[in-house]
Amino acid sequence: MDTSTVKIILQILHYLFFGYAFAAITSYIVLSILSGKETLKYLKKNSFVNYKDILSSTESPSITIIAPAYNESLNIVENVRSLLSNHYANYSVVIINDGSRDDSLEKLIESYDLEKIDYVVNEKLKTQPLRAGVFKSKNPAFEKLMVVDKENGGKADALNMGLNISKSKYVACIDVDCLLLEDALQKMIKPFLEVTDSKVIATGGVIRIANSCVIRGGKLIDVNLPKNLLVQSQILEYLRAFLLGRMAWSRLNGLLVISGAFGIFDKEIAIKVGGYDTNTVGEDMEIIVRMRRYMEEQGRKYKVSYIPDPLCWTEAPDTYKIFISQRNRWTRGTIETLKKHRKIGFNPKYGSFGLLSYPYWLIFERLAPIIEAVGIIYFTILVALKEVRWEFALTFLLLSYLFSVLFSIVAIYSEELTFHQYKKKGTGFKLVLLSALEPFVLHPFILYAAIRGNIDYYFNKKKKWGEMVRKGLSTVEA
Amino acid sequence: MIDFQILIDNFNEYPYLIKLAWVVSAILGALIILLTVYLKFVRTILRKKEANSLEFRKEYEALLIEYLYSGTEEGGISEIQKNIIEELKKHVTVKSKRKVIISVLYKLMNEVSGEVTDALKVLYKNTGLMHYALIKINSKKWHVKAKGIGELTKFKIESVQEKIEQLLVHPVREVRKEAHLYFVNLFYFEGLNFLDIIKTPLSEWDQIQILEILQKSNDQEICDIKPWLQSKNETVVLFALKLAKVYNQYEVKDELMNMLSHNSKQVRIQVIEVLTHLYGIEAKDVLKANFTQLSLEEQISFFGLLEKLVIPDDEPFVEKHLFHKDFEIQLLALKILKSINIDKYLGLNKLPPSQKSLAMLKLENV
Repeated sequence: MDTSTVKIILQILHYLFFGYAFAAITSYIVLSILSGKETLKYLKKNSFVNYKDILSSTESPSITIIAPAYNESLNIVENVRSLLSNHYANYSVVIINDGSRDDSLEKLIESYDLEKIDYVVNEKLKTQPLRAGVFKSKNPAFEKLMVVDKENGGKADALNMGLNISKSKYVACIDVDCLLLEDALQKMIKPFLEVTDSKVIATGGVIRIANSCVIRGGKLIDVNLPKNLLVQSQILEYLRAFLLGRMAWSRLNGLLVISGAFGIFDKEIAIKVGGYDTNTVGEDMEIIVRMRRYMEEQGRKYKVSYIPDPLCWTEAPDTYKIFISQRNRWTRGTIETLKKHRKIGFNPKYGSFGLLSYPYWLIFERLAPIIEAVGIIYFTILVALKEVRWEFALTFLLLSYLFSVLFSIVAIYSEELTFHQYKKKGTGFKLVLLSALEPFVLHPFILYAAIRGNIDYYFNKKKKWGEMVRKGLSTVEA
Repeated sequence: MIDFQILIDNFNEYPYLIKLAWVVSAILGALIILLTVYLKFVRTILRKKEANSLEFRKEYEALLIEYLYSGTEEGGISEIQKNIIEELKKHVTVKSKRKVIISVLYKLMNEVSGEVTDALKVLYKNTGLMHYALIKINSKKWHVKAKGIGELTKFKIESVQEKIEQLLVHPVREVRKEAHLYFVNLFYFEGLNFLDIIKTPLSEWDQIQILEILQKSNDQEICDIKPWLQSKNETVVLFALKLAKVYNQYEVKDELMNMLSHNSKQVRIQVIEVLTHLYGIEAKDVLKANFTQLSLEEQISFFGLLEKLVIPDDEPFVEKHLFHKDFEIQLLALKILKSINIDKYLGLNKLPPSQKSLAMLKLENV
């Protein structure tokens, strides 16, 4: 190749990088506008809704909260108490003790006065077998609670057991350590009940970070901004992702993921598609994609709904090691799901699901870290070869940095003008400051974790969930 | 000055793309600074609003409680009450204050009953709050309209029913729903007349809300639901079935029997459930005869009916379905058999494992 050919190739490469960045930024702007519209519509629609009637009605549909637990002995009793304090009338709680090696089951038996019952499990979905069996409380105060002790099979397997056990029309799949607000179920069930021209197959809610928040008797008392910079940055990241990203996809009916921490599903459809996939670490995304695919293939009108209220609070990783492990898993989950359902991608048969949602996830979620890493390597080579045109490089670096800061600030505004959870003085300034720091304190680690996730996916197939150590939320005695 | 000139000259020499990027960066930078400063302002306003709202709430709560306790013995309006109304009249002109007063009144309306409610209604009308609600229902914005109807519903203002009647067929679902709730809240079963005319679907959420209002009311004399059972609007039929179940409408059993062959599967399933509740023993033979033509969900519902209304004569039918392809039906059949013929049920244990159904095997391991 002569020098002019190399130059042309390089030129094309530059334009590709530029085009990618431009498309990504444009998509973020479009998504924020759509999200703003959707949030506004949601707030208008729900500003005069009376949720009390649904709460007390015996006709309200039944919901089973399924919460898998593995070695959660430290907080299991308090966490279950929190789940049992929901205001919804027609619900039950099923805790799946997924082969824990600690004393979770003993603690639950003692605290909730549990006794073993004869229970025939309708094995619609194949799971690991029961271990100690099924338990119910002798105390009528805990009649809504059921504990299932089974052999270890992973989170997806535990959720499948929950789907088998549940007798309700809807199931709320949640992480046992999540704090669910008392009005969470009635708000989340609403989309299923109000739609008449299509079927809502799942509803997701915003996940908020509870580190440093004050919790008393299973209730959220005070919202604080944590001191840990990593956790702070994740708060900002969650605000962006949930308030600006997912709300927009909800408007487009293009949501591909509902957080595994909290989502409600139509049980019939979840079972029809075969339940959670036990062979992926991204079971929360995979089941949504499969349910959507099923509905598309059946030619049925459907919707995956999403609501912006802060209903579920969870503990975020506070060390880089655990954070990287979590994001590594998320990356592998995305790769596995997109690969498994590659038939959907760019396939007009699947409508906007195949032509918009899937391609977006593939290009701007799946490939983004790879393109970014390639860009960094390429830039380093150019620096070494002294081929960098610094006026271009610095100008666009500044431009992308400013855009990312502005985008975060828009997310902060979105939060302030809607739910205004971080009320304390000085928090606003801290959040803005975080917007400026986050590209340095969080983004590089997200990129690193995503690259590690790619490497692990292709070269370390044995890697499964990775480490996720919980410290427990800041509870105060009731 | 000279330095600036050098910068400007340099800038002018850059390619257009860089020039454009710098202009955009400058705009973004300015926006960031502006939004940061404005955020402080927004947060301060929000905090202040919240504090004010809390303060107003305390003030109005005290005022309204005083109002409630200062009525005349004859049930008329006392001087103190008149003064309070005059005082509140000045406040309701401010939107934020009006909002707080309404929310305090809502709370009080939930807590009191009888004559006290009437006193609050008088206050609502005389302070001019009702006037603002009427402005709301004339608004072009659907959510304001819906809010206005909700307010008039809460204070049970009957005089506006003609206006709200026109909104029963409003194109926006939320407005229609609020109009429905208005009529049900004020006139209970008589207020359900809109079911005769609605062509749009009544969502499950709306149905639950309406049922809940009806159940909470003192008027438990249900009207004739037969026309709704024959409605062309499927959601009206489903709602009528809920009424039949909740209000034990034995008199519609014949209609329910006819509806076992309804076009909609969802309706048929719900009919079986209502018949189960109403001890519709007559349904057994019809469903038994058509059992193989029923969908799986209907079959499961029917076994639910059998579980409740089984008699020894049903044994051959139950026995026939001990090996049904569906696990749930197998299990229900076993349960029913156990209740009518325990010896036969125990005898099933002697079957070799290869001849047992999945439910039998599962039960053994429990």
